[in-house]
This record gives sequence, C-alpha cells and structure tokens, in this order.
Amino acid sequence: MPTLAASPCGSCAQHRAQSLVKLGLSPDKWDYLVALAGNPNVGKSTVFNALTGLRQHTGNWPGKTVVRAEGAFEHDGSRVKVVDLPGTYSLQAGSVDEEVARDFVLFGRPDVTVVVVDATRLERNLNLVLQIREITDRVVVFLNLIDEARRHGIAIDVKKLEKELGVPVVQGIAREGVGIDELLAAVHGVVTGTRSGQQLRVARHVPKVEQAITDLVPVIEQVFPEVPNPRWVALRLLNADEAVQEAVRTGELGQLSRDDTGDTVDLAPEAGRERVLDAAMHLRWDLPPDFHDVVTQRAYEAAEEVAARVQMGGLKKAGFAFDRKLDAWLTSRVLGFPLMLLILAAVFWITIEGANVPSSMLANLLVENGRPWLHGIAAALSLPWWLDGFLIDGVYLATAWVIAVMLPPMAIFFPLFTLLEDFGYLPRVAFNLDSMFQKAGAHGKQALTMCMGFGCNAAGVVATRVIDSPRERLIAIITNNFSLCNGRWPTQILIATIFIGALAPSQFGGLVSASAVVSIALLGIVMMFLSSWILSRTVLRGEATSFSLELPPYRPPRVLQTLYTSVIDRTLIVLWRAVIFAIPAGAVIWLISNISVVGLTLAHHAVGWLEPGGLLLGMNGVILLAYVVAIPANEIVIPTILMLTVLTGTGTGGEGAGVMFEFGSVDVTGNLLRDGGWTLLTAVNLMLFSLLHNPCSTTIYTIYRETRSTKWTTVATLMPVAMGVTVCFLVTQVWRLLAA
Amino acid sequence: MVDPALALSVFGLMVAALAVVFWPRRGVYARFAHVARLTERVRLEDALKHVYTWEQAGRVTTLESLAGRLEISTVRSAKLLQRLTELGLVHAGDESPSLSEDGRDTALRLVRTHRLWERYLADRTGVPATEWHDEAERVEHDLSAEQAEALSARLGHPRWDPHGDPIPTPSGDMPEVEQLSLAGALPGRTVAIVHLEDEPREIFDTLLTQGLHLGGRLEVVSRDNKRVRVASGGREWSVGLVAARNVTVRVLAEGESAEGPSETLADLSPGEVGRVLDLSPACRGPQRRRLLDLGVVKGTEITAEMASAAGDPVAYLIRGALIALRRGQAEWVLVERVEAPAEIAS
Repeated sequence: MPTLAASPCGSCAQHRAQSLVKLGLSPDKWDYLVALAGNPNVGKSTVFNALTGLRQHTGNWPGKTVVRAEGAFEHDGSRVKVVDLPGTYSLQAGSVDEEVARDFVLFGRPDVTVVVVDATRLERNLNLVLQIREITDRVVVFLNLIDEARRHGIAIDVKKLEKELGVPVVQGIAREGVGIDELLAAVHGVVTGTRSGQQLRVARHVPKVEQAITDLVPVIEQVFPEVPNPRWVALRLLNADEAVQEAVRTGELGQLSRDDTGDTVDLAPEAGRERVLDAAMHLRWDLPPDFHDVVTQRAYEAAEEVAARVQMGGLKKAGFAFDRKLDAWLTSRVLGFPLMLLILAAVFWITIEGANVPSSMLANLLVENGRPWLHGIAAALSLPWWLDGFLIDGVYLATAWVIAVMLPPMAIFFPLFTLLEDFGYLPRVAFNLDSMFQKAGAHGKQALTMCMGFGCNAAGVVATRVIDSPRERLIAIITNNFSLCNGRWPTQILIATIFIGALAPSQFGGLVSASAVVSIALLGIVMMFLSSWILSRTVLRGEATSFSLELPPYRPPRVLQTLYTSVIDRTLIVLWRAVIFAIPAGAVIWLISNISVVGLTLAHHAVGWLEPGGLLLGMNGVILLAYVVAIPANEIVIPTILMLTVLTGTGTGGEGAGVMFEFGSVDVTGNLLRDGGWTLLTAVNLMLFSLLHNPCSTTIYTIYRETRSTKWTTVATLMPVAMGVTVCFLVTQVWRLLAA
Repeated sequence: MVDPALALSVFGLMVAALAVVFWPRRGVYARFAHVARLTERVRLEDALKHVYTWEQAGRVTTLESLAGRLEISTVRSAKLLQRLTELGLVHAGDESPSLSEDGRDTALRLVRTHRLWERYLADRTGVPATEWHDEAERVEHDLSAEQAEALSARLGHPRWDPHGDPIPTPSGDMPEVEQLSLAGALPGRTVAIVHLEDEPREIFDTLLTQGLHLGGRLEVVSRDNKRVRVASGGREWSVGLVAARNVTVRVLAEGESAEGPSETLADLSPGEVGRVLDLSPACRGPQRRRLLDLGVVKGTEITAEMASAAGDPVAYLIRGALIALRRGQAEWVLVERVEAPAEIAS
C-alpha cells in the first residue's frame, strides 16, 4: 500500500478525489469499519463529514451528536464504513449517549478506532485516548484543531506522541480538510497491518489495586485465552462495570478478540465464566473504598505525564482572552439576561419580518396559480369531480399550504439558530438559565433541548439524550412541547397579525404582533418551568442532581456552510415530514366535508358536537375539530380552520365544499374569520391553545421511542392538553365576567 | 352561553374535589393506599425486622417494644409473634423471642433490600436524604429476591448503604463493623463519622441540621454526662448524648489528617485557583463518577473562571476545559488554595 506522506497539496480537494470516493449514505457492504471517538466537541462530526462527504450536522456544543451516525467512503479500492460516535469523557459511561460510544468501541468491533483529539486540550483528551488504547491497539489519533492550538501558543511533538502512545498520530484541521489524507493513509496502514500499534506501557495502580488485578488476570486468561486485554477487563470487573460483566456472563467477551478468518471463537464454558465473576466480586470486598477515585486519578496522571512530555514551547496554558471578555458580557449579572432576550427576540423578529414576502409569493404561486392550473389539467383529463376534488382541493392544497407557510420561516430560523450554535452561544444560554432550571428541579441542559424544540419538538426530544440523569431527562422530554415549534409559529403569527396587530395603529402593527408572539413563546417557557417544577415535586420527585456543562471556546461561524447545511438538512427534512403528514390530513379534511350522513356532512356533525365545549373554552367547534384533524402536524391547523369555517359558516365565499381556503391575503382571512363569529377573545384563546395542546404525532412517537414507556408518553401527551383546556377556560370565563 | 360566574364556581368545586382526593400524603387516595399496603405479610415482616434489629443491638424484644415500633396494640403484637412462631421464623423462648435460622435469613433479606434501595435512592435519584428510609421501608416488602439481585447488579454490587451500614450479601454475610458511638469517643481524638442512625427520624433530622454527615471529621473536645463537645472546620458545638449515641464513628489514627480540609471549590472567587484535595463522601454514585471523569481528581488545579448571570452555576477551568458546575457540586470538592500563576499573554 502506498503511504501518503504529507504533501503540500494534501488539503486540496482535487488531490483527494483521486483516492477518495465519498459514498455518502450507502454503508451496506464494507471492507472495514472505522469508529470515530473522542471527547465532546472536538470535531468528530467534522471529520466524519470530511471523510464521507455527508453533511452530518455539526454544532459548537458538546453533545451535538446524540445518536451514532453512519456513512461510508471508498479509499484505494476498499469500502470503508465510518461510524461517528457521541462524545465521551471516559469509557465509564454515564449518560445514554456516552454508553452508545463506549459500547461501540467495546462490542462493535471496529477495525480501527480513530480518536479525534482537541490539540488545545491535549491532557484532558489523552485521558480518553489512553483508555481506548488499553482496550485495543488498532487506534489512530487525529490531532484536530492544530490551528487553534497554534494560536494559543501550543505546539505538539507528533513523533514523540506517536512513540508515547504506540499508535499513528496525524495532525490536521478537519474543518478545512487539512490532514484528512494522512488520516486515511494511517487508517489504511493500521487495517493492512503495515502500521500496527505497539503494546502500551500500562499505568501502575496503588498496591492494593495492583494485587487484585494480579489475582484476577490469571482467572480471566484461563477462561478467555483469546482476550487481548485481560488487565483492562480485570480492572473493569473490579469496578463492577455492568456492560463488561454482562459480556463475561454471556461469553461475548471471548468473541471480542478479533480473528480475521471470521470464525467465531467457541464460547467459554459457563462454569468458567461464573468463576471469573465470583472471583471479581470477592476481590472487590478487599479494595479500598475510594478504589474508583484512585483509578481515575491514576489515568489522569498518566495523561498528564504524556502531555507534559510532548507539548513543546513554554506556553502551556491556553489563553482565551477574547472568549473571557465576551463571556464577561454574555454571562454578566446585569447584561446576561437582557442580552439573551434581545438575541432571542431578534431571531424571531427577523424570522417574522423576513418570512412575510416569500410566504405570500409562494402562496400566490402554488395556490392562486397552481390550483386553477391543476384543475385545468384535471378537466382536460376529464377526471370525475370527486377524484379531482380529493386530489387537488384536498391533498394538493394541504401540501401547497404547508410549503407556503412553513418553508420561508424555517429557511430563515434554522440558519440563524445554527449560526448561534456554531458560534458557541447556546451553552452560554444553558449556563445562564441553569439556576432557574435548578429551582424547577430540572437540568440546565434542558435549556439546550428547549431551544432545539423551538425548531422541532421531535428533534428536541431526541436531543435530551445529552442529559445524564434519567429523572431530569424525563422532565425535559415531557416539557419539550412547551417550546413553540416551527409548525405553530405560522399560526401564532397569522392570528396575532389579524387580531392583535390590528388593534394598534398600522405603523406599529408589525411590532405589536411580533411582541404578542414573543409573549406566547415566553409564556411557553414559563409553563415549561412551572410544569417541570410540578413534575419534580409530584410524580418525578427528587432534587436537582448531577450537572456539568462544558462551555466550548467561541469559534467564528462558517456562514456559507451553515446556510447550506441548515437549509438542506434541517429545513428540508422538517418540511418533508410536514408534507408527508399534510397529504393524508388534506385527504381526511376533504372526505369529512364531502361525505354526508343523515343530510349533513361528517364535518358538520363533528363541529356540532364540539361546539358547546369550544364555546366554554372561548373558541368554537371548528377550532377543536381542526386540532383533532391536525394531530399529525400542527402546521395544518390554520388551513383546516379556514376550510371548516367556510364550510359550516353562513355561506360566505364561492369555494366548493372541502376546499382548503387559500391564504391569499391577511385581510381576506381576517374578514372570513370575523364573519365566522371570531372575536379578540377567540384569537387569544386560539394562540394559547396552540401553545398548550398535545404534541404532534411524530413527537408523541419520538417520546415513546425515547422513554419506552406508555405511561410517560401518555403524561407527555395529555398534560399539555389539560393545561390548555384549563388556561383557555379560565381566560374565557374571567374575560366574560369582566366584560359583563 | 353559560354564565361565567357559574362556570367558574363549578370549576372551583371540581378543583377542590380533586385536591381532596389526590393531595399527596393527606388525600383520600393516599390514605387509602397507605392502609391497603399494610397487609398481614408486611406487618409480619416488620415484626421480624424488629426482632432482628433488637437482637443485633443486644436488646430483648418485648410485646411492648414491638407494639411501640409498629404502632399497634400489645394484643396485636402478641398475635404477630404467635404467627411468626407458627411459621418457624421465631423461637418463642421463656424470656424472650429469638430468631430461628429461617427467620434470620428472611430478616437479612429484608435488610439487604432495604439498604440496596437506600443506596439506589441516594445514587441514582434526587430523593432527599430525609426520605430515603421511609421509601425503603415501603419497597423492602415489594421487591422479590431476583429483583433485589438485579438492582444490586445495576448499582455495581455496592457494599455499604448511604448511612454507612453494610449491605448483607445474598447469602447473608455481612462484615462485622467496629461499633463506637460518638458518645463513647474519648476527648482529644479525631473521629470520622461512619454511620448515622436513621431512626428515630427526629434525631436523624437533628443530626443532619447540626451539619453531621457521613464521612465528616470531628475532633472530640470534651465530654460530660449530658453532651459531647465537638469541633470541625474551625467551628465548635455540642451534641446531646442521646443524639451522639446515634452517631457511629471510627477513631482516626495519628497519621490520618487530623484537621479535615474545610475549603471547597465553591469558596473560590473568580480568578482564584485551588488544588483538589479530595471529594466529599457525600458525593456518590454517578455524580462522583461524573466529576472524576471531568478530571476533578486529587491534585488537579482548578481555576474559578466566571459565574453565570444568576450567580450559580460557576464555570471552572478544569484541565483545559471550561466546565460549569452547580454550587452543590462545587461544595463536594475539597481544595487548598494555590497562588494563581502569572497570566501568560497568548
């Protein structure tokens, strides 16, 4: 195999194209498997993207990757599968995402584990490198962010580090593609055996621990002769590591040792396996009580020693003068919160203002012009009226409306949000808000998942994996729905514009409606704190527990790349999801308003049934029915309401039954709703109910998948509905009492 | 339209009715559930545990002691003892009842489950210390032996409960612990607290409010027949003899640090540097592991960098990474101050 030495054109994409074919998401067959491991926020995802050509979302906060991402590429004729693991500080797994990483390195049997290391924090990162080295020799270390390190006056002797670790070390800057070729060559070398790892000099522990290890190792070697790292296994067993104990119990441990022929090693006899566990358990009683402390301390000392030997130059301490100055502003007692609100409001304002024009352009294109055009085609094909209506007035119109309403705000909101994320501001938000979360009995990282929820609640629920204590994680999952998601912004904005903005003189209308929407979003945050507080005092009783939040250094956001990835990844994915749900919903709406039973359509019946309840809540039957129909996707609430209002109203408009009314102009919509009996009270209640009701079906399903519990899924679904009903009821009755 | 005043009144009544039924602890439902779980089996198991604990303490179980413990009449407690004897769990002696082999096994299993559950509550949940015992009292009757085993495995087979009591092994072995109560400690010696008796509850609460915690170090200043005077961290105070009897201590050898470090990470102001001396024993389980993983180990130098907008948490520079910790966590990290190194311009 040719070894690619570092060459001046190494970072050039064309050069790499010769040997590297990015295969994106096609990891079905592969010749070898590479795992990317590393501490949180060191740029694993960036390396992953550089290798696979995928656009795995990267962000400047620890815990961005909560599930493992997979991709593939071809290099020198071999297909390589790459698995991007969540960041972890050590292999002693604490939170769910860390367990994913640990178990993969242990049991996923990667051919090579690439440990991505942040060169600015060598010592801290080496701790993990050394732990992985104890498990396997098939390691390549990628020293990332050397440009940042240089800026901070840190230089690392790569040759020496290679010698210390006994495995290849490659330095580079992943986000500029520097060093990726050398990394590939090194990985290839390890796979083909031309560059194999050497035995690592093991760290010695205190005598009592050493004694226990010495006693246990022969037992393990006897039962599992194939295991390459009996010393490490012994240490983990003494530590009562569940995963390793389980591997011994099932005999899986014996099969972990790689054999290139692919044969499975015979299972070790069960009696032997039990003997290993027994021996470990007995030895454990004689260990010093602070055994775990001592072992961890020793690991860090070892990392410190290695780091001290390979770091060159007198400037050991990284200086972050600019970061600290910025932090002094962003986290200051006086300015911290106002700045946060200001940034939040600015993001919303830009979204609202910027989305207006493209939204009506899209509506014009897809609805005003697109629908008659399609009807024309249908007429030309002489489709029966019901098929024409079902397809165009039901399915097509629902989809068109969702695209027109959702695409522009998302295409603005997501990139803005991603820029903040890239820059490193989000962890500061969590940092500032933590004391409030603590009082509510929740975890500070819930601030991060809450922010994710502003984009999409389902994404927010998945993001809760960064929270390492189960109780707090459950709270974060259940309350994520109180983040006003993208599907609900359009509803809020439209209703606020029609009913609340109209109260103010026209030049202030935009400002007034924007602040109404921000108030609803803030109310959502208040509700989130309140329900977290209630949950942690009732069904999820407990005090706020472990918390640690890494504040990464600020990094200049890469504007163009951010725009590209956030539009492609987030916006289109969320939009696609909405479209998928809008299609059946459009069909249902058309059907219920065209199928008649006993002289009235199904929609009429349902509205009639729901009317009394709706009035009690200051809304009406139409709105409630719309919420039932819109369970799959919040974004179709408004079109459904408009259509049903037309249908059950006093015969306004010339549209046929079941037509999703187009959102041509705000005035028309407003007049239509006022004709339907809407008042300011109706609008306020609709906005409140839009905030406080069940999550959409995708989110409900995600909650179930994350909690694996019907009970908590039910709580998460019904609690907001109960709150919404209560709040709307109280607002309505008090309002009427005062008005009377 | 419904009259709003009427609607609001109906709503108020409904809320009140729900509160009466579901109010935690005092509501109809909670009371009912409490009575429903006091089955005969639970009573018997509680009685057995009482006989066991009193035997361990070298005291003689009487009908009165049992009645007092279970809050029942002496007639009922006589019936319970009778039933235990019939089941072969207790030998009805002439003077006092004593445990049979089976009885001891059953009692030890209960104790094991109880202590495992306390360990679980302490390590894995945020349930406050004052509630561990009561919760465990309930759960010990509910978990099967297999479930207890699974729990033990999940917790990494712990050896001690959070009060410092040993957890019996499944076969019923339990290491002998040297028992020395604070009331019996000689003046002039330094002791480490190894156990805080969690019963009776009032005394346990008093101990907690006096700042006594597991692993804490005390210097015994003086002792008379009413109270023990102790000192720690530059503070001196008295503990009543009754309370002191509920504190088990280990006398520290001369070599072991006499004066425990008293400064914690939380005492550092932004810009100050501390070297980690130890982690408080109050920091347990995953929380302790998390801190260790972050690099908070003996000898690490940590700089307090900045407080958040609300003052808590504070961000610390730990081995090159800026990590925010809550005040409660920072208080677990015992440090000694070191001179901040002169800032090197970058």
